[in-house]
Formats: sequence, C-alpha cells, structure tokens
Amino acid sequence: MWTFFIIAIVIAAVLIVSRTTPWLSFRREPSEWQKKGALVGTLLKLNDSAFNDLMELYEKEFGPGPARYARRTYQKWQTGKVTAATQTYDRFLLQLPKVMSYDLKCEVLQHFLSEYAPKAEYSMDVTPDDWEEHLVPLLKQITDKVYTAKLPREVEEKLAWLSEGDMVAAEAILKASQAEQSKITVSKLDEEFVALKRILAETKLKAKVTHVIKLPYGSIKLKIKRS
Amino acid sequence: MDEEESLEISPKKSSLFPVTPDDIVDNALQNLSESQARRVTEKAADEIVKLAVEKRKAEYRNSAAQEEMNNLINNANLLDRQVGDYKINSTFETASGTTNVEIRKSPINRVLLILVALTAIALIAVTYLFFR
Repeated sequence: MWTFFIIAIVIAAVLIVSRTTPWLSFRREPSEWQKKGALVGTLLKLNDSAFNDLMELYEKEFGPGPARYARRTYQKWQTGKVTAATQTYDRFLLQLPKVMSYDLKCEVLQHFLSEYAPKAEYSMDVTPDDWEEHLVPLLKQITDKVYTAKLPREVEEKLAWLSEGDMVAAEAILKASQAEQSKITVSKLDEEFVALKRILAETKLKAKVTHVIKLPYGSIKLKIKRS
Repeated sequence: MDEEESLEISPKKSSLFPVTPDDIVDNALQNLSESQARRVTEKAADEIVKLAVEKRKAEYRNSAAQEEMNNLINNANLLDRQVGDYKINSTFETASGTTNVEIRKSPINRVLLILVALTAIALIAVTYLFFR
C-alpha cells in the first residue's frame, strides 16, 4: 500500500518538474498532423460571412455528410480540443482553394495575415501638449510593420496557392489597404487631443483619462495627464 | 565624389507612410495574366471603396465623440454644483480607438479634512491646557 503511495508521489513530482523545467520536458514539438490541424482551426475562425461561404462550398464539393460533421466539430478544431484529420486539412486548405472565388481566397488570406500578425501592446503617459513627440515615433514603428509582416514560412510552404501571382498581388493590396486604414485611424488624433485637453482643463472635475489606439499590428494604451 | 557623399549623408525625407498604395498596386499588377489583372484590379477597387467607408465612419465617430465629450463636461459641471458625491464613467468610440473618462467627487476628502482640522485643534487645546 505504502509502496504504491510513494510511487504515485514520485511520478507526480517528476511530472511537475518536467512541466516547469523546459529541458526536462517530455512534451515534443507538435507533429505535422497537429500543425495541419491547427491550420484548419485557424482557418475556421473566419468572420461569419466568409465562414458560411466556405462551408457552403465545402458541402457542394464533398457532400452533406462531411459538411455536417465539419459544422458540428469546427469549434473543437478551433480550440484544439480535437485535431482535424489530414483529409480535412487537404479538403479545406488544398482542394477548396482551387474552386474558391478570388474574393473568398482574399478573405482567407486577410484572415491568415491578421491571425499570424505580430501584435504588440504598448502603454505610455502623455499630455495633450507633448503627445506628438512621444506618440508619433511609436505609431510609425507600428504602421511600418504592415510592410514587413509576412505569413510564417511554414504556412506559405504548406499553402502553395498563396504564392500564386494573383494572391501575391492580393497580399500587396491588402497590406496597402491596412496602411491606409492605419492612416485613417490616426488622422483625427489632433482633434481628439484638443477635446481631451478641454476635459482635463476643467481642473475642479479631476478627470482620469485613458485612451486606447487600435491598429492592425498593435495597440497603444495612453494615460493622459494634465499638461 | 563630394556631391555623391553629400547625397549619401543627407537625411532622407521620412513620412509616417513611406510607400504609397499606388506604388504597391502598380508593382502587384506586374507579371499577371489579363484575367488575373482584372480580378486584382477589382479587388483594389473594392478596397478603395472599403477605405472610403472607413474614412466616413472615422469622421462620424470623431464628431460624435466630440459632442459627447462636450456633453460630459456640461453634465459633470452641473453635477459638481448640485451634488457632493458622484462618479461618472464614460467611454467614447473615437476615430483612433476608445477613450475612457472617469470623473469622481467624493465627500470623504472633505470629511477627512474636517476631522484632521478638529484633531489638530483638540491637540493644541490639550497641549495648551497641559502646559498652562
């Protein structure tokens, strides 16, 4: 009885140590099958409209049975609770793109660009008088990421259709669009700071003001203080 | 030679968005078949429409937020005159993101000040009576 108890404690201790010590970890790199499954999970996080288009096409190509199963299981594929089979990966990511409309392929590309984008969060304290000096260099740093961001090499290698001429062009257009979007996002910052200055100028109100700027490749949390 | 060196060390003109969308689209259209180029051009047109909509949305959000912030100042001033204890937490969707403004007035500070003042007076009184 005691022997079993001691063995159980030893096993538990080894498992705990192995999980907290990377070089002792028994966990291996995800297998090729798991990586493909993860890619299916990521694909199916598409927005509702693109997701429905994709599922309709899936049903049309592979029949109602597989489509029903996919609709029932996609949330588990998304969370990784269930790993999609290689056949599912082939269907969604290799065979369907051959019959997808260009618009849907662009939706998928945009979705992958957004999912794999290196996002960062920043925070800083500024006043309505010195915000430009501190904020503009950081905004430039974040927006420049639009031009340099790339899909992980592994994804590009697996999904060869992303490297076809018209998809490369689509990627360039989507990136240009994201850059313009960032420009629109920050275009009214000076007016926004004038309004915030007005609130902070009401000294008796003692307002606490925070502002979060959301850009495709990062967000900045600002604590705005009185000048 | 001197001219070349001076060109190299002269600061480059920098802007927040160094590459224009036109440059990117022009580069993207190179080496495509006619049908591919047509699809890509249509996609570019879609994105231009999308951006125009985003621009309008940003303008709308900006003007709505400005108005709401003015209302907030007016309401807070009104409350400040009429009520001794209040808290306003407002969130605005602006063109660039989300602004949160918290305005709070609590009577605790005033009560605390009165208590401190009374304690000080009491201490002075006790000290005066003790050393008299």
